[in-house]
Amino acid sequence: MSFDVFQREEAVIAQGRALLAERAIVDPAAAAKYDELLKAYEKLARTTRRLIKLSDRNEEQLNHLAHTLNEKNATLEGLSDKLSKYLSPQIYRSIFLGQHDDSLITRRKKLTVLFSDIKDFTETTEDLEPEDLAHHINTYLTEMSRIALAHGATIDKFIGDAIMIFFGDPESRGVKEDAVACVSMAMEMQRCARNLRAQMAARGFERPFQTRIGINTGYCNVGNFGSADRMDYTIIGSAVNLAARLQTQCDPDGILVSYETYVLVRDIVDFEERKPADLKGIRRKIKTFAVRSLNDPGLDASRRFHYDQEGLKLSLDLTKMVGSARAEALHSLEGIVNRLRDLPEPASRADLEPVVSVAREDVRLS
Amino acid sequence: MDPISIAKTTRTPRIDFDFSSNQFVIAGESYPEDVSAFYGPLLQRIADFFDGLSNVEISFRFELIYFNSSTAKIVMELFEALEEAAVSGNQVVITWVYEAGDDNIRELGEEFSEELSSARFILEEQAI
Repeated sequence: MSFDVFQREEAVIAQGRALLAERAIVDPAAAAKYDELLKAYEKLARTTRRLIKLSDRNEEQLNHLAHTLNEKNATLEGLSDKLSKYLSPQIYRSIFLGQHDDSLITRRKKLTVLFSDIKDFTETTEDLEPEDLAHHINTYLTEMSRIALAHGATIDKFIGDAIMIFFGDPESRGVKEDAVACVSMAMEMQRCARNLRAQMAARGFERPFQTRIGINTGYCNVGNFGSADRMDYTIIGSAVNLAARLQTQCDPDGILVSYETYVLVRDIVDFEERKPADLKGIRRKIKTFAVRSLNDPGLDASRRFHYDQEGLKLSLDLTKMVGSARAEALHSLEGIVNRLRDLPEPASRADLEPVVSVAREDVRLS
Repeated sequence: MDPISIAKTTRTPRIDFDFSSNQFVIAGESYPEDVSAFYGPLLQRIADFFDGLSNVEISFRFELIYFNSSTAKIVMELFEALEEAAVSGNQVVITWVYEAGDDNIRELGEEFSEELSSARFILEEQAI
């Protein structure tokens, strides 16, 4: 006899039926009541059996659904993993969290925009085999992307060997903080590019890459541009163009920033002011500043002091103020303070003496 | 009586019944396509073994992660058989193992144990 999940209940029913058949209950009224109770028990056993069958079937379907869902999830995970490589992580995250609006809507935001480009890329790579070129450019872009992501940048796009990056959207730490993060990132990129250049040279590449970087801070239109069917999440505006133009004016292996970025970052980075530049497509002359301390491993506001007002600029690197350098700096500053104190109030600006200039590497006053 | 050892599958649990040491284990997931075919012979062996058994220590571990309704009925049958063995004078310990955080399995064990009065019941949380 095969096993039945309800064999215990069946045994009870069989026993009850046998008692009735044997007329073991003599009182007819009690026997009728017993029969009624037995039938109710049989019905309960049948109902339980049906419910368990139904429950098993439902669980089976749920298991099947869960299995199918797991398979679909795995497929989606694979697809989204591939897709993530084509998008900036911030944009990817906002899409997958359902926070991204896919309509053609843009908004104005103050961003710090960076353009980097490899100097004379076409000329330097024309003798390379395509495989070597692909290897070098991919290594370079991979390293630059790694640095950008580590600094929280939004990588807008790669345009051949050029990279367009911005800070301030979709996440912003504040306009100043975004600018600092951008310049800090650019400095690390240049240090990394220099290391890569050494590696390329060691591999026999005659003309290793030299990178130029332009940075500008300003209002941009950010959002979805394109058509309803095919759009890019990107930025446009004159601030973007200016960053691109600054890059073309930058020294090889250098970083050139606009005045708007400079004022946000000057507290913690040494700059060298360059001559105002005429940039293509921009009517006004642009004040430009080149980063001087590319080897500086970190940016630290507590060790630098900057003062900039009409007629007086002071840049002080406290880390270098030791020994005789400190004494000389104090002496120079005291002399300047005395001259300023003794300076008679002029009748007009034309009466002013020529600009005082103390030329020291670490204390600059003009 | 020969021991029973069945490896787990995706739908059926691992079975380790050692009749010489009175140690019994059911572990894994349980939603067999034919619950009667899988558990019928096992319940029969248990019933045969417990029949007339007295004054021995019996340890039965349930380490179930998931089971369907038919298996729940089987588990209740096993609890009943173990309770009867305890009433017959054996020292029966039922250990119900659940993964940390699995409230469903823990609560099911607690509910099944409500029918026990002679067998000892232990809830054991297992770190995942």
